[in-house]
Amino acid sequence: MTAMLPGTVDCAGKPTRDFTYIPSRRRRLSEYEAVTCFAQPDVEVFDKQGWLLRDVNGRTPWIRGSTALVHPTWFLFRDPASHWQRTYVRMQAEQERAIARSAEDAAADGVFREFDPVWTREILGRHYRAWAYAEYGLFRAFAVAQREALSDTLGNVFCFEAFDRMRHAQDIVLHLLELEDHVDGFVDDGAKAVWLEDQRYQPIRRLVEELVAGNDWGELAIVTNLVFDPILTELAISQLVRRFGPFHGDPVTPHLVGTTERDRRRNMAWTQEFVRMVIDPTVPECQKNAATIGDWLDSWTPRVQEAAKAMADVYDVPPLQVARFDEVFAVAQRTQQELVAGLNLKVGAAA
Amino acid sequence: MRNLIKAHERVKDFDWEHSYAEKPARYPTKYVIPRKTKDPFRHLIRDYVSMEQEKDDRQYGAMEDALARSNSAGKAQPRWMEILKIALPVVNFGEYAAMKCCGQLVDTVENAELRQGYMAQMIDEVRHTNQELYLNRYFAKHAADPEGFHIGMKARGSNLFGVAGRAALEAFFVGDPVEGALNLQVVAETAYTNPIFVTLTEVAAANGDNVTPSVFLSVQSDEARHMANGYSTLAAVVSNEDNLKYLQTDFDRAFWRQHSFLDPFLGAVYDYFQKERGHSYLEKWTEWIAEDWVGSYISKMEPYGLTVPECFHIAQEQMRWKHHTAAMLAAASWPLHFWRWDPLTESDFEWFENKYPGWYEHYGPFWENFRQITKAEDGVNPMAAFEALPPLCQVCQMPCIFPRLDCSEVRFREYGGRTLPFCGAMCETLFFQEPIRYAQSRTFWQHHDGVGLADHLVENGLLRSDGKTLIAQPSLDTERMWTIDDVRAWGMEIRDPMPAITAQLAGANASGNGAGA
Repeated sequence: MTAMLPGTVDCAGKPTRDFTYIPSRRRRLSEYEAVTCFAQPDVEVFDKQGWLLRDVNGRTPWIRGSTALVHPTWFLFRDPASHWQRTYVRMQAEQERAIARSAEDAAADGVFREFDPVWTREILGRHYRAWAYAEYGLFRAFAVAQREALSDTLGNVFCFEAFDRMRHAQDIVLHLLELEDHVDGFVDDGAKAVWLEDQRYQPIRRLVEELVAGNDWGELAIVTNLVFDPILTELAISQLVRRFGPFHGDPVTPHLVGTTERDRRRNMAWTQEFVRMVIDPTVPECQKNAATIGDWLDSWTPRVQEAAKAMADVYDVPPLQVARFDEVFAVAQRTQQELVAGLNLKVGAAA
Repeated sequence: MRNLIKAHERVKDFDWEHSYAEKPARYPTKYVIPRKTKDPFRHLIRDYVSMEQEKDDRQYGAMEDALARSNSAGKAQPRWMEILKIALPVVNFGEYAAMKCCGQLVDTVENAELRQGYMAQMIDEVRHTNQELYLNRYFAKHAADPEGFHIGMKARGSNLFGVAGRAALEAFFVGDPVEGALNLQVVAETAYTNPIFVTLTEVAAANGDNVTPSVFLSVQSDEARHMANGYSTLAAVVSNEDNLKYLQTDFDRAFWRQHSFLDPFLGAVYDYFQKERGHSYLEKWTEWIAEDWVGSYISKMEPYGLTVPECFHIAQEQMRWKHHTAAMLAAASWPLHFWRWDPLTESDFEWFENKYPGWYEHYGPFWENFRQITKAEDGVNPMAAFEALPPLCQVCQMPCIFPRLDCSEVRFREYGGRTLPFCGAMCETLFFQEPIRYAQSRTFWQHHDGVGLADHLVENGLLRSDGKTLIAQPSLDTERMWTIDDVRAWGMEIRDPMPAITAQLAGANASGNGAGA
């Protein structure tokens, strides 16, 4: 069809009509791979001339030592969800619309007024609202990780997770604004003091601050998505806020939490893929990588478990005891152990 | 109805003083940014994703529907389409580097309001990276000549101008994060995205390419918010008087780093690849950079202690010639690249002389000659006309030929036992301000020194699918295209000119003539 077009070259073989420089995961190059791969230059891939600028300490744009994990070709990583900006933003726009409609319907139907007042004041107004700070801290940590990650496919999953975290933090604030509008006497204040001073939350704050202070993007992904979320977020948010909500007249908040659980599943899946990549037997440093990850799990898992236990008596606050902390803790701990064991990794020492 | 003002206030109150773990100064900055400033964005994620989804649907929908059915990409002027083979990958790295800059700013600038803006920009930059790669692939699928588009990101890495682009754009995220923001948001986005994403779309549309405007204008709709980020960052910086002692130097450096690559590059793209001709790059540069950016933005910062960079006036003076000189070198080195040239015609000459009085005197003879030596059967090596390859600047990586060959400001200075070339006084100054930042960089000639030109082309995949015809050509003529055998017949090796220049300068020194340009 294009043979007659001006500019056509028809004497140098059949022209190549797709990118040829990307090793595709499947038989054909996916849209995700085409618009993502090799956006990041690398002196060991196509940019062999080397880096062209350093900072005043001589640091180059990217450095191999930004993670203790070692892999010969970080560019081989693929996000199992195959997200690029368009698919990611579309998904989050759909989720946000669903949340907004759910709140709109709840307001119209008077559902917010049916919430148990203790639930609204203590769990949503203090506990859930304080969690927004944890999410914001993780946003900061993942924003740095996207800067440092050693390939575009990795940088993008970190970037999307940073966005996930900020989305959840903002949605908590917006959700409580709805409550202010529709629940007489409810005011969103005091949660920052809970986050900063309430002893039940200080171990969580410490973990978040340590993750923000960390300098290893591999460690951040593994600790957050394979330890922190499966244990702490599961207990603080999924089991408490999502599971207890309907029993306290609140069908709205669990829906919001459900959208963040979708994000969590996605983030866990790419982290599993990431782990499989670095401990694959064909990777020369696979054993060292497995040992490094084992050290991280040993170091973080007990602290995450302790942080979860520190907020155990928050489970006593809701008027209806839907589940006991000890029971859900045991389940979360077992599920996390299975998750780690499924990756042939050693579970944390205190487990 | 939710209370937006309250919502904004609360999402900006997420920061707290960390007391359990001290965050390391990963990206050291000498600037002190106040914790409270004006909100640059006023977008919540809920609004943001909805807005961006709609923009994406419009843009990608147009590309896959009306633009594909009308075959806009296939019918566009071939001269214009060719330069997009390098322009898109170069611009793409700017987007990617911007994403990294935003990550650094989130970490460094302890200001929750600015962080909201940086976060949205961070994901905007993923958007732009994806959009431009989608466009690049779209052209690989639909352009009349797809070869070159199909290797864009790979070819960028081994192209002289692709590398120079990377040198300028690495400044977005390598170094003090605030200096990165000056490079990205204050200079590149506020000054240069209008020439890139607005005026280039006019050229594209005039030349039958309606696809590039669909993407670029959608990109530019985000850039306005990034300019607001830059303004807010700058306003925050100047609000602390202690910052001013660094700011002017960093700002001057940022302007020069971006100008030294972007203007010669964009000017050549703009002026040398229009077929249906309209404005000149200089006219658009004057409108957007001199009048709009300097006149309406930077000059208004003077009461706050920031002045128009002195080097802006050097740049303005050199704007008449700089990109013409760059285009001449790019054409003369055509076999090294991955796009085709369409030699200038008499009507082009007339346009150039009209837009740039005196152009013909300085560049006319080269282009007259160039169109005589495009035939493969004649086998003329255009680079053979030069005594040696021009040295490449240790800072900007561009050839040391500016503003014109006959009045080049090239200079050589000793550093660490080596003789280093600089394209002019500004790059020399920047180097000696912070030699550690540039001294280890290798130039294109250094890296490829001693490699046969034909071997270089083969190794870097710069051949068409028949395995012998070059992707690059000096003309759009397809009757007898240049092949690898034609280039091999030249027996040419890529030679770093610096050893010979160093020896020559040493000889001159020994005989008491002194070193220097």
